[in-house]
Amino acid sequence: MFSTVFSGALQGVSAYLVSVEVDAARGLPVFSMVGSLSQEVRESRERVSVALKNVGIHLPPGHITVNLSPADRKKEGTAFDLPIAVGLLEALEIIPEGAGEGILFLGELGLNGELKMIRGVLPTVRAAAAQGIRQCIVPRANAREGAVIPGITVRGADSILEVMNFLTAGGKEREALLPAVFVDTAGLFEAAAGDSAEKPDFGDVVGQETARRAAEIAAAGFHNLLMVGPPGAGKSMIAKRIPGILPPLGLEESLEVTAVASVAGLLEEGETLVTERPYRSPHHTISQAALIGGSTVPKPGVISLAHRGVLFLDELPEFQRGALDALRGPLEERKVHISRMGGNVTYPSDFMLVCAMNPCPCGYYPDKNRCRCTENQVRRYMGRVSGPILDRIDLCVELQAVEYEKLKGSRREEGSEAIRLRVGKARELQRLRFRGTGYRFNGDIEACAIERYCSLGAEEQSCMERMYSVLQLSARAYHRILKVARTIADLDGAERIRREHLMEAAFYRPSLEYWGY
Amino acid sequence: MERNEWREREGIYACWLCSCPDMGNRQMHLLSELCGGPEAAYFAGPKSWGRALTPEQVERLKIHTAGWKPKEEYHRMREAGTELVTVGDALYPRRLKEIPDAPYGLFFRGRLPEEGVPAVAVIGARECSEYGKYVARRLGEALGRNGMQLISGMARGIDGISQEAALEAGGYSAGVLGCGVDICYPARNKSLYERLRDRGAVLSSYPSGTPAYARNFPPRNRIVSGLADAVVVIEARARSGTLITVDMALEQGREVYVVPGRVTDRLSDGCNRLIRQGAGMLLSPEEFVEEIRMLWEREKDFQTRKPQAGSCRRASPEKTSEGGGFPRGKFPEKKIPEEKLPQELEPLCRVLDFTPKSIDEIRGALPRSYQDKPLSAWLMRLTMEGAAVQVSPGHFCLKG
Repeated sequence: MFSTVFSGALQGVSAYLVSVEVDAARGLPVFSMVGSLSQEVRESRERVSVALKNVGIHLPPGHITVNLSPADRKKEGTAFDLPIAVGLLEALEIIPEGAGEGILFLGELGLNGELKMIRGVLPTVRAAAAQGIRQCIVPRANAREGAVIPGITVRGADSILEVMNFLTAGGKEREALLPAVFVDTAGLFEAAAGDSAEKPDFGDVVGQETARRAAEIAAAGFHNLLMVGPPGAGKSMIAKRIPGILPPLGLEESLEVTAVASVAGLLEEGETLVTERPYRSPHHTISQAALIGGSTVPKPGVISLAHRGVLFLDELPEFQRGALDALRGPLEERKVHISRMGGNVTYPSDFMLVCAMNPCPCGYYPDKNRCRCTENQVRRYMGRVSGPILDRIDLCVELQAVEYEKLKGSRREEGSEAIRLRVGKARELQRLRFRGTGYRFNGDIEACAIERYCSLGAEEQSCMERMYSVLQLSARAYHRILKVARTIADLDGAERIRREHLMEAAFYRPSLEYWGY
Repeated sequence: MERNEWREREGIYACWLCSCPDMGNRQMHLLSELCGGPEAAYFAGPKSWGRALTPEQVERLKIHTAGWKPKEEYHRMREAGTELVTVGDALYPRRLKEIPDAPYGLFFRGRLPEEGVPAVAVIGARECSEYGKYVARRLGEALGRNGMQLISGMARGIDGISQEAALEAGGYSAGVLGCGVDICYPARNKSLYERLRDRGAVLSSYPSGTPAYARNFPPRNRIVSGLADAVVVIEARARSGTLITVDMALEQGREVYVVPGRVTDRLSDGCNRLIRQGAGMLLSPEEFVEEIRMLWEREKDFQTRKPQAGSCRRASPEKTSEGGGFPRGKFPEKKIPEEKLPQELEPLCRVLDFTPKSIDEIRGALPRSYQDKPLSAWLMRLTMEGAAVQVSPGHFCLKG
């Protein structure tokens, strides 16, 4: 007999439907599987037959053919075990014909028949819902992840037996066997906002007013930030606290973040949505493939895992030149295209880049009395950070070593909560400004739209003209100052950019000149 | 006419001799002396060369000579604008001739320093502070304005800045290079190189095309001090190459003046040490110029009587001040045009000096009422008015 059930396969962070076709005919005992299958999908044959045997179902000898359609796309992962098993049961008439109709099946089978957690449930369920499928059965560990998608009933099962019973039962009994899983998304976000107490707080950062201010501006406008300072000044401490002052994730953003985490297999058992902004801080020995994404089968890299969050690169000059240079495209396009033998995929990579570095090999530049580095050494150290990367940094701030006086003082600095409120207000202004456009933050504004969003009065215009010549700005630097000034004005609640906003923005401009270029 | 012809023949073979690779200055002198001039040396052949050179050098000179067409090479050099004077030439700088181990030949573009005018060498750190930049600029300016010649090495930092200022003030300056005169090293001083060539001179003891090898610089330094009557040191670390030049200057009997720095400034350690050892102190450019002029006048009398270098000739300040000698000026302060700045920025200017200060330091030095003011924006304002420099993202100092 012949049967068809639905399943899905991943393509980057999106997915497409796969129909699993099973034919059982009389003949010599053969179990063959076709449809551009990778190794782990082909192994499914052994898992399915042994699992079925172990739950007490003996496959009658016969000619079994399984086809995964569309047959020309490469299938990967272990999620096809369950649909193959269900299709087989149907083809062998162990469960009623048409019992699995209109249901999406995903899941990996253990040899004892249990269902195991898989990757990429969220994007697959999302794609299925968009295609009009109204029900799906996934491993219980993944059920809450899939259940956040509206318009589709998600059921979680522990074993193939449970699924069999569910499909055999009819009408109302069914519902009781595998109840639909519901997730209260609004509640999730509220809960996430509630337990901010345990997150690192800006109140722990002693002194460093300038750096705190820069972090606030960067967070408000989603600008890229570079912190320069001697070891121990608190650069990584500040970086770690930036996600805490960013406004909380919205549902749509959260779905994007969860999809990447799901594809990368980073979601924990029973986890639903990622509600916290990602913070990724890879070690400087990271390879280009790990940073950008890759391997023969393209997997999301760290930059995609930091999507909608913060990517912190500590000791920037120590990173491999190739890895840093590969960041240029994703920083500009906010997504990354990876082409490998295993296929071409696009992963999102809209992250806020936060970098930290020493100013020179000895760490004391520009204090020439303490710094023993020659101008050339400093330049070479800086030269390791490629100009194009510096070109994409909006704010640059210098930190000083913390004085003992400040350390021992018990004065508590302003906490993340207060900063987040100000950032939230600035974000709200940006939301109104960019309504109906592709932009979300001031940091996103492209050169062609600068004129429109960062218009200046006559006085400010002449101020910028002077700044352009005195500070020897490049066109790119000029635009950056305008964008940052826009954010500073937003933090100020000002409609127009004023001169002091421009001045402050100019103060934070990253300039190659500092390093003797 | 005959004399010019003779000079040209001399030049043709001097060019050959001075372009020979791996030959020391002393050996050039020796070879020329033994054979009786460069032309004679050229035609003398390897046998005579062997009296002055080691066998390996003779071999190398043979190879060099075989591939060298004296006339063509000489004319090519002249066409490129480069000239050559040798120690026997009347045009050879008199001051340089006095020094021990004077370079045998001197390639140059532009015009050589004049004999009848005082010349001062200004040297110092390449990685200098804004303080050093300011002093160098002021000193170069004073020398240029008062018609004194400024000799330096066209390097980054003190050298280049002082030369730039001297040319700016309409003075003469000569840059002594550690490479061939057709090469601009450091490359970023291109515009200075061109101006020196047009309005002063670039000179070198190395033939055209010689790259700036590190070993070329100590001999270069002795030419810098050798061309000058006095040497001024602006900023030098305790173990700085500048101090080697000072040693050479003392050996050559040149006056050494030093710009003092704060004892905590590592960039002034070398200078302060020299003061401790008895070097003259430069406290204001005008005073210095006056002192050099007086020295020069006295020297002229001195020289007519007894031409000899190396004795202690510094004008003693006590004596001269009693006699109402040179003015006891102060070093001019950095002035910021007041009309440009709003009132509130004035205390900020007073806090800044030539040492880079961090924002926190600046904030700490300001009165209490300034504690919660937008300092970063104000400092940028000063920067834009040309009063301050943002030396790094978080440090500011006065513009030098």
